[in-house]
Amino acid sequence: MQIKPILSALRRHKAGTFLIAMQIALTLAIVCNALFIIQQRLAHLAEPSGLDEPNIFVIQNEWVGASTPEQLDAKMREDLGVLRALPGVQDVTLSNSYPLRGGGWDDGVKLTADQVQDTTGATIYFADERFIDTLGLKLIAGRNFRAEEITPMNVRDRLGPPVVMVTKALADKLFPAGDAVGKTIYLVGGPTTIVGVVDLLQAQSVDRWAQSFAYRSVIVPKRLAISLGVFYIVRTQPGQLDAAMRAAPKALFAHNPRRVINDEDGVLSFKEVRAKAYERDRGMAILMGLICVTLLAITAAGIVGLTSFWVGQRRKQIGVRRALGATRQDILEYFLTENLLISCGGALFGVLLAVAINLWLVTRFELHRLSLVYLLMGVVILLLLGQGAVLAPAMRASRVSPVEATRSV
Amino acid sequence: MLKMTHLSKVYRTEVVETYALRDFNINVSEGEFVAVTGPSGSGKTTFLTIAGLLETFTGGQYHLDGVEVSNLNDNERSRIRNEKIGFIFQAFNLIPDLNVFDNVEVPLRYRGMKAPERKERIMNALERVGLASRSKHYPAELSGGQQQRVAIARALAGSPRLLLADEPTGNLDTQMARGVMELLEEIHREGATIVMVTHDPELAARAQRNVHIIDGQVVDLAEDPRFHQAVHAARANSPA
Repeated sequence: MQIKPILSALRRHKAGTFLIAMQIALTLAIVCNALFIIQQRLAHLAEPSGLDEPNIFVIQNEWVGASTPEQLDAKMREDLGVLRALPGVQDVTLSNSYPLRGGGWDDGVKLTADQVQDTTGATIYFADERFIDTLGLKLIAGRNFRAEEITPMNVRDRLGPPVVMVTKALADKLFPAGDAVGKTIYLVGGPTTIVGVVDLLQAQSVDRWAQSFAYRSVIVPKRLAISLGVFYIVRTQPGQLDAAMRAAPKALFAHNPRRVINDEDGVLSFKEVRAKAYERDRGMAILMGLICVTLLAITAAGIVGLTSFWVGQRRKQIGVRRALGATRQDILEYFLTENLLISCGGALFGVLLAVAINLWLVTRFELHRLSLVYLLMGVVILLLLGQGAVLAPAMRASRVSPVEATRSV
Repeated sequence: MLKMTHLSKVYRTEVVETYALRDFNINVSEGEFVAVTGPSGSGKTTFLTIAGLLETFTGGQYHLDGVEVSNLNDNERSRIRNEKIGFIFQAFNLIPDLNVFDNVEVPLRYRGMKAPERKERIMNALERVGLASRSKHYPAELSGGQQQRVAIARALAGSPRLLLADEPTGNLDTQMARGVMELLEEIHREGATIVMVTHDPELAARAQRNVHIIDGQVVDLAEDPRFHQAVHAARANSPA
């Protein structure tokens, strides 16, 4: 290895060496953090909803004209019947929201009546006795609601159901011993008893405000009797989703035309719901990816440019080295080693810079601490990029003939 | 040591063939000091580049230290250059980014020599050319004569069988040229084989033997009367 003479030579080219090392450092710092953010966003995308997603679609229905809560409740129950009668439909339920919708009802949950601070927040899902089966949820303790427990609720009524079901995540938070069934909890409207625990049910939003209670949900036995803000959730037989999605609005309008179902997003498959919910995450991941690729390309171009310049500048010197006994391999190794030394210097500073940027992001945007794996990954990527970028000019250098030594400039 | 037989070097383009060397014959014995002379464009430098394995030839045979070199691959040619040949160039060809010590070290590193042996050889070579105290200087900090001395030290450090010098004093003033020439003569007296390309009749006169080239062929010195006379005059004036 010729590390010492290469270092000596680099000391004589401080400006070029420093600039390219700084470019590598900056790229490394940004790429490490960007990769980390991409990974976090992708992990976010992969979070399960708990639903039988491939076979579920949702309908947002808005009633037109004045109706009493009782009339609205009756019309919605008729709609459930209409939808259940469609071919390919396995089951239908209605709720105030559904996972990944982006909005809904969340509330504080307490363990005692006189508690000042909530023990935790939770999503409130209104549900009938078909809610669990329609969504494809798994009941892991206790029981489902009985039909007679489901009561209509006006938007101005207090939320005080006698019984509720909760998700396992909420049950574990409230009762770590695993004996949530039969226990009393306190919602905004008063005490209620847990009668069942379902395994997994994601919150109505994946945004930051809902992160603290992402899988903590309370399912209440209520039908919301309002003209706008109730969703029909339909589960179809496998392979029947598209046909049922086309048939459902037609059947509803045929039964009662005094309603609005938006052409654009009135009927959405859960795949569309998921895509919409994670649009920002996906966009951010793509943006970060583009930034990484652009920065890496600029850095690679910088290395190619500088090395090509140096090869041109040192053509005679390379010829002299060849005349003195250097093989083509020696010349190739010289430039690869030179680049490796610059890249290592840049990477060292880049790692410190990456950690500093991450600490700033952690304090400023509540991001997680950068994992060592991403630092190592970034260093490896930059070193490989450097070696790849330098290869073409280095090979050109290795082809310089030794007779170049005898040529006058 | 160096034997070329019916050697030719042709540069070809799409429309023309140019013979740089034609039916070229030369035989240099071990321990000889030969001056290769000739006018500009006669083929002196082409001869030197082929002799130094810096370039391939088109036809004929070339034996260097008993080895026929025409079939050697690039790596083998590099190895022979490194181990058997020492080069002294007109423009010194020191590497400006390296100090004197590191410059002399270059061929030794390519030989894979261990650091202690390298250091010993470098310091011996630098002492021999009188520049041991300048080992940390960079080429730009040295005079032309000193730079050529460093180049000679670099050539000597590897203990080559053959020293090839291409106009070694061409870029030096008279005084510096004299010093370098005396150094080469001293090296020759110690047993080195030297082939020096020059167009200077005074330098040629100081070699043991002159090989004169005109139009790519070795000719009798008498065929170039002016140069012949100049060499004779220089020999007559020589203090030796």
